[in-house]
Amino acid sequence: MAGSSGISLSTLRQHNFWDAVMRHATRTAALTVLLVLGGVIYTLVVGSLPALNQLGLGFFSSQRWNPVEENLGGLTAIYGTLITALIALVIAVPISLGIAIFITELCPRWLRRPIGIAIELLAGIPSIIYGIWGLFVFAPVFRDWFQIPVNNAVDGIPILSTVFGGQINGYGILTAGIILSIMILPYITSITRDVFETVPAVLKESAYGLGSTTWEVVRKVVLPYSGAGVIGGIMLGLGRALGETMAVTFVVGNSHRLTGSLFSPGTTISASIANEFAEAENVMHESALTLLGLTLFVITFIVLAAARLMLLRLEQRKGN
Amino acid sequence: MALDTSLYARRRVTNQIVMLLAWAAAATGLVILALILFTLFYNGVAGVSIAVFTEMTPPPGSEPGGGLLNAIYGTLVMTIMGTAIGTPVGILAGTYMAEYGLGTRLATVVRFINDILLSAPSIVIGLFVYGIMVKGSGFSGWAGGVALSLLVLPVVVRTTEDMLRLVPNGLREAASALGSPRSHVIVKVAYRAAKAGMLTGILLAVARITGETAPLLFTALNNPNWSTDMNGAMANLPVVIFKFAGSPYENWRELAWTGALIVTMAVLVLNIGARMLSAQSKANS
Amino acid sequence: MNTSSSSLPGAVHTQKPYLEVRPDSSASKLPMTEKISVRNVNFFYGDYKALKDISLPIYDKKVTALIGPSGCGKSTLLRIFNRMYDLYPKQRAEGEIVFEGKNLLDPKQDLNLLRARIGMVFQKPTPFPMSIYDNIAFGIRLYEKVPKSELDDRVETALKRGALWDEVKDKLGQSGLGLSGGQQQRLCIARSIAVRPEVLLLDEPTSALDPIATAKVEELIYQLKSDYTICIVTHNMQQAARVADFTAFMYLGELIEFGETSQVFTKPTQTRTEDYITGRFG
Repeated sequence: MAGSSGISLSTLRQHNFWDAVMRHATRTAALTVLLVLGGVIYTLVVGSLPALNQLGLGFFSSQRWNPVEENLGGLTAIYGTLITALIALVIAVPISLGIAIFITELCPRWLRRPIGIAIELLAGIPSIIYGIWGLFVFAPVFRDWFQIPVNNAVDGIPILSTVFGGQINGYGILTAGIILSIMILPYITSITRDVFETVPAVLKESAYGLGSTTWEVVRKVVLPYSGAGVIGGIMLGLGRALGETMAVTFVVGNSHRLTGSLFSPGTTISASIANEFAEAENVMHESALTLLGLTLFVITFIVLAAARLMLLRLEQRKGN
Repeated sequence: MALDTSLYARRRVTNQIVMLLAWAAAATGLVILALILFTLFYNGVAGVSIAVFTEMTPPPGSEPGGGLLNAIYGTLVMTIMGTAIGTPVGILAGTYMAEYGLGTRLATVVRFINDILLSAPSIVIGLFVYGIMVKGSGFSGWAGGVALSLLVLPVVVRTTEDMLRLVPNGLREAASALGSPRSHVIVKVAYRAAKAGMLTGILLAVARITGETAPLLFTALNNPNWSTDMNGAMANLPVVIFKFAGSPYENWRELAWTGALIVTMAVLVLNIGARMLSAQSKANS
Repeated sequence: MNTSSSSLPGAVHTQKPYLEVRPDSSASKLPMTEKISVRNVNFFYGDYKALKDISLPIYDKKVTALIGPSGCGKSTLLRIFNRMYDLYPKQRAEGEIVFEGKNLLDPKQDLNLLRARIGMVFQKPTPFPMSIYDNIAFGIRLYEKVPKSELDDRVETALKRGALWDEVKDKLGQSGLGLSGGQQQRLCIARSIAVRPEVLLLDEPTSALDPIATAKVEELIYQLKSDYTICIVTHNMQQAARVADFTAFMYLGELIEFGETSQVFTKPTQTRTEDYITGRFG
């Protein structure tokens, strides 16, 4: 019977063997992904232990950073990371939403693709390019045309003169935030555009049918419908901004002094690691930087996990 | 008519203002892209010469002159290595999630973790590789390549899974109905159908690591000399750009711009290639 | 829509449609052997029971048609014969399906071997993204190491058997995706035949085709009967009447009636069968 169709049992065994090989190989590879994450966490924790043991939780509230005397606190870097990411979001979110609205609702059809491609190319540019551009092109212009005039204008006004005062040279927290915003703009835009496009055309058409303006359709139909997705996209952008290294390191000024000024130089977690890790003074310095890295990883993990869960929820609703 | 025209007028004005802002936002985005590319070209092209591709990175204070040959070589080698390690593992893992493991809990967990790794800070990946490969044995090209491979991995996993899930189940059933083992269905039919999309993903992954700097800073480090020794520190374009841009030497800064131009062009070419490939695959299906 | 004006084309008729049963239908010619025996089969999608206690014979070198309204379980039953459901988690079958003296629902049954011997053609044509030649050679290469010249012969024979050879013999190297829908479906039939299966399962093979392509595929099925045991799922009763020797009528997961096609269509024993074939429901 087997002979009639030319099936030989040895080929059959061969097939089953290779199928088993493939099954195990793919499964092992999938487990590797988990292993990488586990490895990252393990390495960071082990590397952080010396600093955690010696400096304790005071590390997170101390702003001193003296590697030679092993007196190290991460507050400045953590503050810098959070504030630059926040500035980036404040600038990038409205612009991204504007671009997404433009692409989905306003843009003539022929222009849609080129603009979409341009936005995605912007997303592909390596962050070091934003950094070098910020360092050589943006910072001097920003100093002369924004920092100095604003600083002069607020001179003598309490609070404002602190926020927009300090050491003015073009580099600092605000500059870093602006460069970061340019960097995350395309990420947020492309996700927002994608989720806007999931809104069923009938919904929009019925709103237009009632005489709504474009803005009203966006605000009352598109945004409520795609809300979770938009927030997910924004949080992905936040994750990028928190962890971004090169775009920030060039322009943040790299100073471990905590000030209330947005114009003054500061530092972020990733910038500190990028600048100091390879030439760490001693074990404690290296461990403290690793602890900062662990902190960054935990923060971004939470943000990214929340973002993914939100996008996942949107996908599931789309599936229903 | 009971229509309140004053209310309508106000709504229209609001609409026009918001729409104007949307236009402005789009214009801002495009202008910035144009501006970045323009300054990059303007500053980068000035330094392009034969020497860039034939000479090594110059020592400090040796103006003028020098090139980027060792850095270009290092970037090429480590990019190829990162791709060579990350791609097969990524394809296999993506295959598990779309084929053998479809619907299993493991696949769901891996998908979630992979999405996190996809956007995790690359400098943290650098710290990880430093911890397992550099500590104790020193900076090396291998460590740099491994760090880059860990950035390739999640991109390839994601696109492989996505592309395989776009392959109609009918094709899998048809191949199974002929008596193909699952492995054969995957390799001979599913991969073939998803080929263009998977290749797009790989190109995008390569584009991503070509300009990556942070994970190389303390894995491959840098090397001012010509070196093909993967066991030792290795020069690479991003780190050279980083070091040179912040320096006081005129020729270093110029080389930083030129290096940035080279990296950007490579990344743009890879991106555009990937996009053309995916457009082509959409047209074919 | 106004359904009361029965003169419109496509309107509901309550009269018995004219069902042309092939005069040479050889169903009653003995002896007949059971190629596949279905015994008390139940099937579940998760908790949902899609097939209830099905028993029927599939006779050797005959065409058996499974008919019934959509959702009745006819495709589900067909996909049990080659264990296609095993590709998906949460689907399972109970009972016994005897093929070559063994229960093919046995977990130890080698699925690839089973599927190589029980071929299947699907509702939508499924050409692989490769050349016409490679589409046919795909199944042959799976289990046999044949020299190039013999492979060429096998491909040619299969395409001839699939009534496609004359249309494609000059473009064997071109992609199978470039063929028309009807040609693609005949390519898929030829591809199944090329592995020399004993049973051929056809899952609504003409529902995606135009009438001319349908006629060609039906003619092909009729010719293949001499060498293969064929089981076809169809929602088109005329088609069942034209090609099948035996017909099974299924409804809501149950087998209502099984018999020679001429008997089922002209003298159904069950009122539900009669209602269905006269178009009172379904």
